[in-house]
Amino acid sequence: MKYQVKPLPQVNLPELRTVGKPLRKVDAMGKAVGDTVYAGDYSMPRMLHGKVFRSKQSSARITRLDVSKARALPGVACVITGFDVPNARLVSDMPGQTGQKQRAGSDVPVLASEQVRFYGEPIALVAAETLEIADKALSLIEIDYEPLPGVYDPLEAMKPGAPVVTPPDNIVARWKIRKGSMESGFEQADLIVENTFRIPYQEHAYLEPEAGVAWIDERGAITIRVSTQVIEHFRTIARAVGVRQNKIHIQGTMVGGGFGGKEDITIEIYLALLAKHTARPVKMVYTREESFLAHAKRHPYVIKHRTGVKNNGQITASKIEMISDSGAYPYLSPYVLLYTTVMAPGPYRIDNVQVDAISVATNNPYTSAFRGFGGPQACFAYEQQMDDIARQLGLDPLDVRKVNYLRTGDCTATGQVIESATWLEETATRAMAALGEQTPDYGSVKIGQGFASYFQSYGRITWMHDTSQAWVGLELDGTVTIRAGVPDLGAGQANSLCQIAAEVLGVPLERVTIYTTDSALTPLSGTSTATRQLYMSGNATLMAATNVRNVLLNRASKHFEEEIEALDIADGKAFNKSDPSQTLDLVDLAKMCASEGMHLSNLALFKAPFTDPINPETGQGQVWPDFTFGSFAAEVAVDTETGEVTILKAAACHDIGRAINRAAAEGQIIGGGMQGLGYGLMENLIVKEGVIKTPSLSEYLIPTSMDYPNIQAIILESGTGLGPFGAKGIGEPALTPAAPAVASAIANALGVSIPEIPITPEKVLAALDLP
Amino acid sequence: MQSEIELYRPQNLAEALTLLADYGPDGTPLAGGTNIVVELRDGHHNCKSLVDLSHLMELRGINQQNGYIVIGGGTTITELIDHPLIGAHAGILREAARLFANPLVRNRATVAGNLVDASPAADTAPPLLALNAEVQLMSQAATRWIRLEDFITGVRKTLLQPGELMFAIRLPVPSDRSAGAYNKVGLRKADAISVLSAAVMIELDDAGLCKQTGIALGAVAPKPFRAYEAEALLFGKVLGPELITEAARLAAEASRPIDDIRGTAAYRKRVVAVTVRRLLTKAVEVLK
Repeated sequence: MKYQVKPLPQVNLPELRTVGKPLRKVDAMGKAVGDTVYAGDYSMPRMLHGKVFRSKQSSARITRLDVSKARALPGVACVITGFDVPNARLVSDMPGQTGQKQRAGSDVPVLASEQVRFYGEPIALVAAETLEIADKALSLIEIDYEPLPGVYDPLEAMKPGAPVVTPPDNIVARWKIRKGSMESGFEQADLIVENTFRIPYQEHAYLEPEAGVAWIDERGAITIRVSTQVIEHFRTIARAVGVRQNKIHIQGTMVGGGFGGKEDITIEIYLALLAKHTARPVKMVYTREESFLAHAKRHPYVIKHRTGVKNNGQITASKIEMISDSGAYPYLSPYVLLYTTVMAPGPYRIDNVQVDAISVATNNPYTSAFRGFGGPQACFAYEQQMDDIARQLGLDPLDVRKVNYLRTGDCTATGQVIESATWLEETATRAMAALGEQTPDYGSVKIGQGFASYFQSYGRITWMHDTSQAWVGLELDGTVTIRAGVPDLGAGQANSLCQIAAEVLGVPLERVTIYTTDSALTPLSGTSTATRQLYMSGNATLMAATNVRNVLLNRASKHFEEEIEALDIADGKAFNKSDPSQTLDLVDLAKMCASEGMHLSNLALFKAPFTDPINPETGQGQVWPDFTFGSFAAEVAVDTETGEVTILKAAACHDIGRAINRAAAEGQIIGGGMQGLGYGLMENLIVKEGVIKTPSLSEYLIPTSMDYPNIQAIILESGTGLGPFGAKGIGEPALTPAAPAVASAIANALGVSIPEIPITPEKVLAALDLP
Repeated sequence: MQSEIELYRPQNLAEALTLLADYGPDGTPLAGGTNIVVELRDGHHNCKSLVDLSHLMELRGINQQNGYIVIGGGTTITELIDHPLIGAHAGILREAARLFANPLVRNRATVAGNLVDASPAADTAPPLLALNAEVQLMSQAATRWIRLEDFITGVRKTLLQPGELMFAIRLPVPSDRSAGAYNKVGLRKADAISVLSAAVMIELDDAGLCKQTGIALGAVAPKPFRAYEAEALLFGKVLGPELITEAARLAAEASRPIDDIRGTAAYRKRVVAVTVRRLLTKAVEVLK
């Protein structure tokens, strides 16, 4: 074994009855037998079928748009262009960065009418009696373009005289961090290491393409049943469609994978417009190819690291520059850039840090949220940089990291004090130990092992003042109902809330039913993004369930003539802890409470820490509530003659604070790890002059079950997270360290590192060919 | 968008041949549909009538006749994997079948369909070429056998005439003194289109000299092809490492790959040499 496994500090987590158990998720059976109804499965009487007409140019002026033939086609209910809905814009505003005050044209027009800025930009909407008629109508739309000069490389786009995608210039966002002094930091250094890293696009490739149905209900509200990560978009949609906010009703469905790709508004805006214009139900389901064209991608980055280190590996200065390609519209680019900026130095204690980050507009596919939200790009760069530092100093990669790993009580580059456990060496040594002895080289095949550590926020930016609500009620038959607007992406968001309520109210999990994802009927819980639902809605559910429990215990205390502290609830009964034979069934207790007018339900609001924005000049201040820490390790076999890389073993170790459902947490760790391995080795979105050359799943390859070995998931529980029962978040963190770990393993095998992913066979051979 | 097409489902082979004869250039035989249906959906196929052959048992099955393994054109790729005659005599074809697309596609796709589609990357073509396969084309009027290497004439081009279907594929049973090897280089381990593929067969005489070879390459030229210069080099010689390396170099030289989304021409040429060298070495090992 390469490393001594670092012992864990003593942690005494209370034994719980439901939380932490690998129970079958409440949504599992429906999926297993096909009962789960996804957005594309719904239909309605008199339903029309919607289609989007899209740009075939990356940068052009529309000189003529004639939809008259499409409108005249029998069976076409309506054709909408940007001229019909001039005010339909999706607002993009990060104070100080985007927004109409800062940059005219930050907003995204729902339909382009004068100019198109990317290939696939929506220009018109069609609703027709059948899909075939809708398709035919698309082919009857006549359009003439006058090509405009386009810009397809963010570095080119920053140069004077480059074509401007949207005035005033191509700079969409900027962040900087200034901590300590570059001058003294580099002066203290024994060695300065410089590298440039290139990180590519990534496509979400969820199983379920965007889908939904919209109609106008009997109260005149536009109701949209849609697969989304964010039901709160009803507000933006109301503004774009021109109705009041309480006249848009979003009914989210079980989501067949989101990964950030259903974080921005997708088809729901088109459905709303078409339903409003036709006053009939309208359905829209993207094909896979349209899904590729229509939604954002992960941001490509160029990241430069210049690091000063002492001979023992201690970092004295870190100067980082990063440029991301925002594509044609800002969407969430300023936010993603902030994440990359703040995470840029990695989970290391560095006194002197300077980061300069810019997001640049181009005529490429637009980029926005993707699992990790800028964190994986930062992690690839800082972990490759750490490996190179180790190589140049002749030190072991773990030894270099150990000197610098953040400890509890240390500050991040923005001066945020970390209060939770930072089990970096603990996770790195366990992940590496799980690989076991290294397989020997054979023939032209070289074997290598490597790992990467990371930190990744969970919860939203603290100056966004995030809140979540959940309602929990006990029914008269002893069952529990939860109402929370949480979208379930398949990651177990809803199930976790059920396990929490079951724990607190002392009922078996199967007695809990949850109603989710309805913007009008369930309390708003916020977005299923930013690894925030367990933290935010888990806490809201914990609060609401605890409030109901307190009502029950109060009444039970009268019944037993005992203090509340002497009582507990489990297995559907309240009981006396010192004499468990004294029990009161929850059904009877609920009836007592009801007949005495006691409140058997509770609506709770959980607030994350609220802070002021960071200082825009120095980046100093708190950015997130807390971080998850962990490591990923891989063993690879590299064929030095063909460049092919085979992953032989993989292991991920994360401190997730506390597992609420152990099986679901392992699922996240393995699934996120696979997505990260694909990002590192295989997934290759080829874009030429703004056109995606790999626009389907037969061209843009994602891993199959044959490609990678099982990832050993090692869960550590420090109990120090801000979530319920000490939980941290794992949804996004699971992906972040996988690509850099596999890159480290390849570098370990070959003795040369490849600073650019995906590490394709050709890049391996090119690296080996270097003198 | 797909336009309207007619689909015929004949009761038997005779009826299928009649339909194909009647429709001539407008009639397209449909087997597993794993290429045609996708192309129709994308608007890349302009046939007016499809004649569905997928249920015709006359086109299925694998047997041994007069020194040949005869494979019915409608035999699915899955059936290739499972059939003992293929396992015993055409291991390289079985290996190609195992790496063909994914289980769902393998259950529908047929050998004839794969060859008639004539993609440069057709997975069954290199092993069948290396095994000296012939294909039987049948119309209402006549039946003819053609060498597979003549049948495929270019990118998606074959000698199949209007009114014809591919009834069967046959390959001479290789001698006991022969061995083969196959490899497909793809960008992932399943459900991938070849970056390149290669199949080799070698037969040694009693003195251990090379008596017969087949070296076939896929996805590195407009059509799958035999590397005859490389084969000629080996004939009558002891297959030692240097000779094998030189033959592999000739095979790479004979390939005319292109740059595409899966790889560059330079990468393909380079890896052809590696792959052919390894496959020849492996086949020689088997015969030792």
